Amino acid sequence: MSTPDAVRVTIDGQDVHIAKGTGLVETALSAGIEIPVFCYEPRLGEPIGACRMCLVEVEGMPKLQTACTMTAQDGMVVKTARTSKKSAEGQNATLEFILVNHPLDCPVCDKGGECPLQDLTFRYGPGKTRMSFEKTTFEKPIPISPTISLDRERCILCYRCTRFSESVSEDGQLVARNRGAMSVITTFADEPYTGPFTGNVTELCPVGALLPTQYRFEARPWEIVDVPTVCGMCPVGCNTHATVREGKVKRILSRNHPEIDEGWLCDKGRFGFTHLRAADRIVDPIKRVRRRGFEPVSWDDALDEAERLLRAAHGRVVVALSGSETVEEAYALAKLVRHGAGSHEAVLPEEISDALDAYRLPLSAIAGAQVVVVLGDEPVAERAPIVDLWIKQARRKGAKVVGSPDDDAVRGAERVVLVWSGPGGRGGARVAELAERLGLAGKPGCGAFYLPQTPNGRGVADAWSACSDDEPAEADSIGLLIVSGDEAAGNDNVRALAERADSVIVVSMFHGLAAGWADLVLPGTSYLERDGTYVNLEGRLQRLRQTVPPPGPSELEWISQLAARLGVELAPDAPAVFAELSARCYGGLSFGEVGERAPLRGYVDAPAHVEAPPVPEPAPSTNGHGLRLVAYKPLFSGPAVERVTELQFQRPQAEVELSADDAKARGISTGDSVTLGSNGSSVVLRARVNKRLRASIARVAVEHAGGLSGYVEVTRNA
Amino acid sequence: METRIGAEPPVVILDGALEEPLRDLDSYRAVGGYAQLERARAMTPQQVTEALIQSNLRGRGGAFFPTGRKASFIPTPDKVAKPIYLTVNADESEPGTFKDREIMLRVPHRLIEGCLIAAHAIQSKHVFIYIRGEYSTEYEVLGAALAEVRAAGLLADVELTIHRGAGAYICGEETALLESLEGKRGQPRSKPPFPAIEGLYDSPTLINNVETITNVPKVLELGPEEYAQIGAPPDSTGTRVFCLSGNVVRPGAYEAPHGITVRHLIEDLGGGIADGRQLKAVMVGGSSFPVMTADQIDMRLDVDSLAQKGLFIGSGVITAIDDRTCIVQFALRIAQFYMHESCGKCTPCRVGTRWLVQLVRSFEEGSASEEDFDLLLDVCDRIIGKCLCVLGDSAAMPVASCVTKFRDEFRAHLEHGGCPFGEDSSLAHLFAPSDQHHHNPVAQEAPV
Repeated sequence: MSTPDAVRVTIDGQDVHIAKGTGLVETALSAGIEIPVFCYEPRLGEPIGACRMCLVEVEGMPKLQTACTMTAQDGMVVKTARTSKKSAEGQNATLEFILVNHPLDCPVCDKGGECPLQDLTFRYGPGKTRMSFEKTTFEKPIPISPTISLDRERCILCYRCTRFSESVSEDGQLVARNRGAMSVITTFADEPYTGPFTGNVTELCPVGALLPTQYRFEARPWEIVDVPTVCGMCPVGCNTHATVREGKVKRILSRNHPEIDEGWLCDKGRFGFTHLRAADRIVDPIKRVRRRGFEPVSWDDALDEAERLLRAAHGRVVVALSGSETVEEAYALAKLVRHGAGSHEAVLPEEISDALDAYRLPLSAIAGAQVVVVLGDEPVAERAPIVDLWIKQARRKGAKVVGSPDDDAVRGAERVVLVWSGPGGRGGARVAELAERLGLAGKPGCGAFYLPQTPNGRGVADAWSACSDDEPAEADSIGLLIVSGDEAAGNDNVRALAERADSVIVVSMFHGLAAGWADLVLPGTSYLERDGTYVNLEGRLQRLRQTVPPPGPSELEWISQLAARLGVELAPDAPAVFAELSARCYGGLSFGEVGERAPLRGYVDAPAHVEAPPVPEPAPSTNGHGLRLVAYKPLFSGPAVERVTELQFQRPQAEVELSADDAKARGISTGDSVTLGSNGSSVVLRARVNKRLRASIARVAVEHAGGLSGYVEVTRNA
Repeated sequence: METRIGAEPPVVILDGALEEPLRDLDSYRAVGGYAQLERARAMTPQQVTEALIQSNLRGRGGAFFPTGRKASFIPTPDKVAKPIYLTVNADESEPGTFKDREIMLRVPHRLIEGCLIAAHAIQSKHVFIYIRGEYSTEYEVLGAALAEVRAAGLLADVELTIHRGAGAYICGEETALLESLEGKRGQPRSKPPFPAIEGLYDSPTLINNVETITNVPKVLELGPEEYAQIGAPPDSTGTRVFCLSGNVVRPGAYEAPHGITVRHLIEDLGGGIADGRQLKAVMVGGSSFPVMTADQIDMRLDVDSLAQKGLFIGSGVITAIDDRTCIVQFALRIAQFYMHESCGKCTPCRVGTRWLVQLVRSFEEGSASEEDFDLLLDVCDRIIGKCLCVLGDSAAMPVASCVTKFRDEFRAHLEHGGCPFGEDSSLAHLFAPSDQHHHNPVAQEAPV
């Protein structure tokens, strides 16, 4: 029965045929048998066998063995706690030891009710304590950052968090200190735990030791609902659960999509949700009133005004999009102005090309690559954080991560993945052209990614073009500018357009962005309040669910009402709108088929090859001494993050990254104070030497770049 | 204070160094040093391994695993695209053990010669000696010997690195040693994979104790057949440098063949129990193992004889415990040591060692109850065989043996409401003084 690849393992008397080398925990699970674990978590690398929860009896071995560190071998006979008294005794012993110093404060612990330690204690543990001495006590809870608190008394030292920090996010910030019974989890040098991925440890923790401060005392498991949706903070589109209690989002959890996020989230996606309750959230429409300034108006009045402005523009309407609208919202807006006002002009914050459709891959394919070519000079983690974790995983598995398609490693490699992280990629056209030049089309395991700045730029572009084939006419004046969403409202180019427009309608969530320059402000909604679809950077269509109701009508509802006033028929709900556009963009897929864990379907009419013209590299420095300034938009920025107090510590440091060569040539070391100068303006920053950065650039978060542009002189301050 | 050196012939490990240490290259060469290296290098690696297998030399670090067989597990360089490492465990930290220290001080070149022969046997080009951090003189002596060897060109294409530990007992556990050598937190790894396949830097690694490796030149010099006749063949061949301490007249490091009795070591070589006291128990093998009672001292020190009584030869420790010693205090001190040295990685050891200390202390204070005997033994039982490495067992086994073998003495503490052994710590003459010695005498003078 057993083939060379399949082996027979007997677990509790049941024969299991499974691939050789499968972990014993998974092998048992395939037969419906649970082997309880705490420290075991395959995503964290090699098992460590630390907690001793998974002790089982293996025939031929005198001692109990940890199932997590064993793999299926032919003829192996395993007895779990179900059939082995010795194993049951071992697991019971482990739980007794774990509980010896545990405070048993479940009634006030946020983990209570969804705690693996509680669950396994009920199933495998002792019902009574035999421990009558003083338990180890520690100061608690300790905020290891503004977003995460640590309770060392509840900690069972499974080392999941430190392994995450060491082997997944590779920041090395979480460590164990001291030895034996006094071992504690801590951050290196007691600095706050900082970085794009820290929050994942709150989900990895199998007890109530590492908890999100935002969720502290907020809800109990029996009064919450976890709504499956997709994160709208960046173009990755991580799958998430929004934990909702009484109409409020209380926390965001990961919802493992193995091809997209592997169950990891970035802190922006995890902790950014409190922007829903920002103090300056707009809940009612606002209208500019002559001599009286701005005042809240009813929705009827607002729609009257919007209709008036649309008609008064006489077809000279421009829509500035954010790229964070759902496909359905973008389609609805397009239909409103293209069919209702005869205007076809839209402005997207970035270029989006469909040239990459021939090189589509799931993100998980990066981990299987032999060579990953990272192009563009912006940090991957700042644009699309989870992509950075995939690249790190590839490197740990032995892949070469290089900065040029001409690198020797690329030649002869079978699986090459290109990643474009930065501006100048023409929406993916350039990286597609490179993929074409390297002959990656149709090669298994090969592909290319472009990291856009907007979460749904592609979907918005799809929707806009699905509505009409008419080309925009050149208009010398703008009658009405419709600014859709917060990113557009915060964009300087859009503000400049507004100066030229006769009137402006802004759809925004926040007073801070909308106040003062619009004739009419309509309350915007968040991705957490919307039903609809997004297309992520893989080209994957995904389903957003409304997790909580918005404070007023949704965009789809009022656009539909406005459209009706202009004689345009438009459904007010996402499934119907999707049905209307799906045939044009998504092969007639129905809304229900998009799926909770959406597959990567690709585009029906995706071109097999790209014929994009080669694009020249940016011109080199003219004076030969300066470094090209790369001013990137940091992950922890934007309208939502600015409204989350506990994320402010994550804002980028006032520092400039330099390559080792450039730093050496200027006598600069990490920590030095340096001056960056260009065209008469200068900025003083702290230097950080980054060995992985390519030469000739100076990388700065845009909020610290001041008035710098182009090429900068970098000098060390005395 | 100089350690006393003695021997019961035949002398193998300390041969030529009983009177004066053989520290410099010339004096070592004068007794035939490095001749075996030359011979070994003329042999094939397989022939050297075969000789080790024939000699039945076994590991002196405590586990007594056949050295030749362990070497034969190392894949040959044509089978793996990784370097092959030899790592010598000189992190001697077991309470009562001081043999590796004497070996490094007296025959450093014999250790280095053994390293180079063993490296040849497994075709390793890089040898690491991981030496206990507190061994500063030993580090200097070994370093000076290495400098001579390097200058004399004896290393050939082999690199030998001496690395100092940083004071953790657990780093004497082979996989924790490898972690520490790699610059990581010193915690044991789960096995398999075994170091022979994935050891240092995930590469095949042979790990041997100092004393084991020092035997290697002698195996070749005497010939494996003759070596295998020494001691208590077939299983316990060769000699040991026994570490005799405790309350004996002449404590010291004594090289003697396997099979010598405990009585012979204590009474004849060690001059018996000092101050006319009575022997109460013997710590045999090290603090990690069950204690031997005074009536068992005619037992031969070979692995088979000891195993019949549930005892272990360990790292050759013989610590005589006389009748002044409170066994409860002794057990508490052992438990404290392991609580202090537990690395904290696995649950039963990290939690169990602390619980053991609390339990034994409650006996010492006289606050325990009769039911606590069962609890204490059950906690030991729940540690033994369930930990990631043997450190947990090392705490539980001796404590459990003290309880079962000296139950009356434990009970006396309960009856007296405290320790009946008077005001001073009864461990003062047994172990080096330490503020960790724990003692709760009863208020009134009690009969001993």
